[in-house]
Amino acid sequence: MLDMWLGGLQGLLHIDVLLFVLLGMVIGLVFGAIPGLGGTTAIALLMPLTYGMEPFTALALAGGVMGSVPMGGSITSILLNTPGTAPNAATCLDGHPLAQQGKAGLAIGAAGSANALGAIIGTVSVLAVLPIASDLVLLFGPPEFFLMGLFALAVVATTSHGKALRGLVAGGLGLMIAFVGYNDIAGGERFTFGVEYLWDGIHLVPALIGLFAVAEMIHLMIKGGSVAKSAAAVKITSMTSGLVETFRHWPTVLRGSFIGTTVGAIPGLGGTVVAFLSYSVTAQASKNPESFGKGNIQGVIAPEAAICAHDCSALIPTLTFGIPAGAEMAVFMGLLIIHGMQPGPLMLRDHQVEIYGLIWALTASCVLASFVGLLFVRPLSKITLLDSGILVPLVLSTALAGSFAIDMTIENVVVTAVFGVLGYMMMRYDYPRLMIVVALVLGGNIERNFHQSMLMGDGGWSVFFSRTISIILMIATVAVLLLPVFRGVLQQFHPRKVQAERGHS
Amino acid sequence: MKRFLGTPLIDYLPAFALLVIAIAYLATGYSYTPQARAFPVSVAWATIVLVALDITSRTHTALGETLTRLFNPAASAGHDEKRPAYPAWKQISAVLWATGFVVLILLIGFLYAIPIYVFASTYFRGRKRLLLCLLVSAGVTLFIWLLFTQVLKLELYPGVLFSEF
Repeated sequence: MLDMWLGGLQGLLHIDVLLFVLLGMVIGLVFGAIPGLGGTTAIALLMPLTYGMEPFTALALAGGVMGSVPMGGSITSILLNTPGTAPNAATCLDGHPLAQQGKAGLAIGAAGSANALGAIIGTVSVLAVLPIASDLVLLFGPPEFFLMGLFALAVVATTSHGKALRGLVAGGLGLMIAFVGYNDIAGGERFTFGVEYLWDGIHLVPALIGLFAVAEMIHLMIKGGSVAKSAAAVKITSMTSGLVETFRHWPTVLRGSFIGTTVGAIPGLGGTVVAFLSYSVTAQASKNPESFGKGNIQGVIAPEAAICAHDCSALIPTLTFGIPAGAEMAVFMGLLIIHGMQPGPLMLRDHQVEIYGLIWALTASCVLASFVGLLFVRPLSKITLLDSGILVPLVLSTALAGSFAIDMTIENVVVTAVFGVLGYMMMRYDYPRLMIVVALVLGGNIERNFHQSMLMGDGGWSVFFSRTISIILMIATVAVLLLPVFRGVLQQFHPRKVQAERGHS
Repeated sequence: MKRFLGTPLIDYLPAFALLVIAIAYLATGYSYTPQARAFPVSVAWATIVLVALDITSRTHTALGETLTRLFNPAASAGHDEKRPAYPAWKQISAVLWATGFVVLILLIGFLYAIPIYVFASTYFRGRKRLLLCLLVSAGVTLFIWLLFTQVLKLELYPGVLFSEF
C-alpha cells in the first residue's frame, strides 16, 4: 500500500505536472470566488482541454481545481457575505461579522489555514480508509440516509444562535420549498403552478446567491457606508494571526475534519451539509454558543476544515462505487471516463497510482491556495472598505450574471431576486437563513429515502428499529432536539454556573 | 405603537405571513395523490404547529416567556424591538433598486442593463462624481463581458426586447 501512496506522490513531483496543479489552483481560486461558477463549471470547461493530456496530468489539473475552490469561495464569503460555492455559505455566518468588525484578515487567515489542515487530515484519513471504504459505505442504506438527514436538520436548527424555534420554522419553510418540482416517487409535479422551470425544483445555487449575496447587498444599501465600519477598524495584526487562531483551536479543526471525512464519504450528503453540520456541532460543543453568528473565529475554522476534508473523502463513493457525491464529482467522473478510467471497484485495483496522485494533487492545491490566500489577505481586506454606492452594483451585477451562467437559464435570476428579498426579510425579522439552505439540500433526499425505507419495510416502521445505525441516529436526533430545553432548564437552576462558564470562555 | 399581549403588532407580522404560506401550501398539498402529498403535507402541518408556537413565544405571557426561554433565548423579550429600526421607505427603496435591476435584465439583457444600472446606482443612489460613475459602470460591464462572453464563451441573456423571438 505504501508504495502506491509514494508512487502517486512521485508522479506528482514532476515540473510539468506541478505546473498543471498550479494552473488548476489559480483557476479554482478564481472560479470559487465568483458566485455561481465554482468547481463544477471549472472542471466542465477544462474537460475538453485535457483530451490530449496524460491521464495522470489531467487528474492533477482537476485535483488542483477542486482543492482551491473552497479557498476562493471563503474569501468572498468573508468579505462580502457572498458564498462563492454552496458549502461556503456556512463560512458567511461568522466570517462576515468578523469582516464587519474589521477582522477580515484574521478570518481569511483562519479559513486558509483551516482549509490546509482539513485537507491534510482528510488526505491521511482517506489514504487509510480507501482500501476498506466500500465496506463502510455499504453500512448506510435508505433508513440511515433518511435519519441522517433528520439528524442534520435537528443539529443545525438547535444551534441557530439561541433561536431553535425560529430555526425549526425556517427549516419547515425550507422543506416546503424543497418539495417543489417533479416528484420521482409518485410521479407528476407538485407546487409548480404551471411553471416549467420549477419542474426541476428550486435550484440551490441561485437560491443561495439570493439568500446571502443579494440579501446582504439590500441590507448594505439600507445601512449605507461600507462592509467594515471604519478604515481604522480594518486592522490586520499580522499575516499569521489567523494561522495562530487555527492552531489555538485545534480541537475545532480535528472535529471539522472528522465530520468532513466521515459524513463526506456518504453519497448524497454534499459539502453544504458537511459544512453546516461541522459549524453546528462546534457551536453546540462551545461553552458560549451565543457568540456564534456574531464573529466567533471557530465559526470560520469549523466549516472550512470540514469542506476540504470532505473534498478528499467525497472521492471515496465516486471512485469505489461510481456514485458521485455531488455535482462537481459527477462532472469529474466524466473526466475519468474520457481518460479511460471507469469509476467502480475495479478502478481501485487498476488505477491506484492515478488515484493516489489525484489525492496528493488535491491536497497540494488546498495547501497552496491557502498560502496564496494568506499572501493576499492585506489587499483583499480593503474590499470591506469600498463604499456601498460602488460595491452594491458591482456585487449585484456579478452575482446575477453568475446565477444566470449556472445553466444559462434566465429564471435563475428571478429565483435569486426572490430569495434575495426573502433573505433580507429573514435577516430583518431574525430567522436563521442557514436552515433554509440545509432544508433545500436535504429535503429531496429525506423524502426519497423515507419512501424507499417504507418499501424496504413493506410499509411498516420496523425498518427504522431493526438496524443499529438507525437506532443510534434516532437517539442522537432526539437528544439534539432536547438539548435547548436541557440548556434552558440548566440555566434556570444554575444561572451563575452558566454565566461563569460563558465569562471564562 | 399598537400592542397585543405586550408585543408590538408588527412583530407578529412575519410569523403570520409564514402561517398564511403554510396554510396555502397545505391546501394545495391536499390536491395531490396520497403518496405524493404524504411528506409535503406532514411538513406543512409541522410548520403550522411551529409557527403557532413562534407566535405564542412572541407574546409577553407566562407561556410565551417560557417558550422563549427554552427554545429562543436569543430572541428574549424586547430583543426584537432592539433591532436597528430602518425607515420603511429606505427598505422599500433598496428592494426596488434590486428588483428594478432584475426587471431591466429581463427586458434588455445583461450587457445593456448592467451599465445602466451601475451608472444609475452609483450616480443617483451612491451620489458619486459623474466621471467615477461612468468609469465604474464601464469597468463592471467590461469585466462581465470579458469573463462570461470571452473567457467562458457563454452567451449572456439578451433580454425579451432583443431576443430573436
